[in-house]
Amino acid sequence: MIIDTQLASLFTAVALIIIGIFAAAFLDNLIKKVIGLAFIGDGVNLFIVSMGYKAGGIVYIYLPGMAADWFSQNASYPLPFAMVLTSIVIGASTMAVMLGIIIVLYKKHGSLKASEILGD
Amino acid sequence: MNSLIPLMVIVPILCALFLNLLHKKDRTIKIIAIILALILPALPILANYGLHYFGGYVPLIENPTLGTDLPSLITGTALNTFHPAITYSFQSAQKIFVFILGLVGLLAVFTSLFETRRPSGVYGYMMFMGIAAITAVLLTDDIFNLYVFFEIAALATVGIVLVSNIKGNYETALKYMILGGIAAPMLLLGVALLLGVTGNVNITDIIYSLKNGLVNPQSPVLLMACGLIVFGWLYGSGLPPFHTIKSAVYSKALPSGAALVQAFSVFTFIALGVIILRIFSYLPFSQWVILGVSLLAMILGITMAILQTDLRRMIGFLAVGELGYIGIGLGLGTVSGITAGLFQAVNEAVITAFLFIGFGTVLYQTGISDTRKLGGMMVRNPKVALLVLLAGFAMAGVPPLNAFQSKLMLIQASINAGLPELGVIMILLSIVTFMTFMKAFHAVFLRPKPADLEIKNENIPKATIIAMLVFLVVCIVFGLFPQVVTSYLQPLATSLGGVV
Repeated sequence: MIIDTQLASLFTAVALIIIGIFAAAFLDNLIKKVIGLAFIGDGVNLFIVSMGYKAGGIVYIYLPGMAADWFSQNASYPLPFAMVLTSIVIGASTMAVMLGIIIVLYKKHGSLKASEILGD
Repeated sequence: MNSLIPLMVIVPILCALFLNLLHKKDRTIKIIAIILALILPALPILANYGLHYFGGYVPLIENPTLGTDLPSLITGTALNTFHPAITYSFQSAQKIFVFILGLVGLLAVFTSLFETRRPSGVYGYMMFMGIAAITAVLLTDDIFNLYVFFEIAALATVGIVLVSNIKGNYETALKYMILGGIAAPMLLLGVALLLGVTGNVNITDIIYSLKNGLVNPQSPVLLMACGLIVFGWLYGSGLPPFHTIKSAVYSKALPSGAALVQAFSVFTFIALGVIILRIFSYLPFSQWVILGVSLLAMILGITMAILQTDLRRMIGFLAVGELGYIGIGLGLGTVSGITAGLFQAVNEAVITAFLFIGFGTVLYQTGISDTRKLGGMMVRNPKVALLVLLAGFAMAGVPPLNAFQSKLMLIQASINAGLPELGVIMILLSIVTFMTFMKAFHAVFLRPKPADLEIKNENIPKATIIAMLVFLVVCIVFGLFPQVVTSYLQPLATSLGGVV
């Protein structure tokens, strides 16, 4: 049985978010926590991209010769894709700052254990 | 002059970039930072009310010639009225909020430049970037744009903490970022769900869709979106369960930075709180959620402040507690309640900044913020002690200062809304705030100076005293003439009070 592409993407997104929350909350290694946070961000991004998916749809580029009515009914919705691009940039910046802080903390404490460095 | 609306965001961003470029040129940094910081409170005063469409893309209904070649699927439906561009809305409430944010920003920048021998371009960058982000959060009518600037403000906050060089600042910044790494995507997920249901990220259009039956307002997806956006709101403004980390963030920033970061929290609280009320006011429990969270913030914030021995931590918890008052006003949902809540927000941004900078003078002179190791500062600086005392009086709501007016209005609004219990709690917590402040004031200023207390800097910079005097003048003016502020807040409160 072929699973609907959009539904499969949405389930994957939810799975990524749950795995990410688990890693961020329960894993003691700071790098693993950050990877967990990346999972959450990626899950949300995948969720948004999935919402813009249109079965049998076309890319939202209006080419000469296309009928406006036909295009507006068949093109996928561009807004989620634009949002995800921005979100990826924000996620990358946040991740870079977090990893930078972890490098400093590793040099200071000689460990990556959150329980030792952050105290809980 | 509607073109000034985007400039309120563009000017601080440009200033931030310049300061970063000129990192090691101390004198140039000082001059540019002061000139551009002076522009910040001036811009909202000069700008006219209105909307600004980025890219100039107005709704089709406002420019019918644009829609001549478009299919009826677009021109014949609600799409005709929707906003295709990122829209900034500048009304009277935004005028006062952006002005106060600009004023706190100006005084924080001014203080920071004269308290350090070598002004840091990076620190200036973080401050201006944060101001730009929170201004955008206040102005934007696009909820995704709000999320973007919400994240930038969080990064700027982290930057302000990292630059401070206070022991434990990196650990606190990382904790804040890890929590933000969960809360911010949840906010984005809430935005995504709203987009999924309504097909829109423009708040006005989302409300149009909900009110005109284009989507089912009772959809469980909308409930989930509401929950996720509320979660982001709790993180952004430092409400429980994020109150502990938020007060830790304040305590690990320099006084000027903490003064600014608490203003970020207050205005994030207001911006997201107003959006939650605008979009989800039809949900019967939305009002009670805001009231419940605010009450919890008040009780937890103020009671935890009593236990603190660190000055900055104490003000941090008091600031969280004061946020609760704002939330009570919003949660009451009446015009008078919302006006009082918004007025309290303006007052809190000023008073908490005043307190952070006031107690910051003690930190500047001694390098110590532990009240158990301090004392005798009144003899050394009676003028500063008086200013700090007045700041504390203002926070506790002593007449004729500004918070007295807003707290009185809140108590009256809660009685009129049939919830006098809230009024009683607010009075009791104001007394506790006063006690907490007086305990700290006694420990720092009135108690004899401990023998081992070393004074590192004898003279407090004049810029700091000037900043405190300006805050005091604002507190007195807003206290004596509350209508100066409330007249600006009334239109927003009326529009919100009508929907709740």
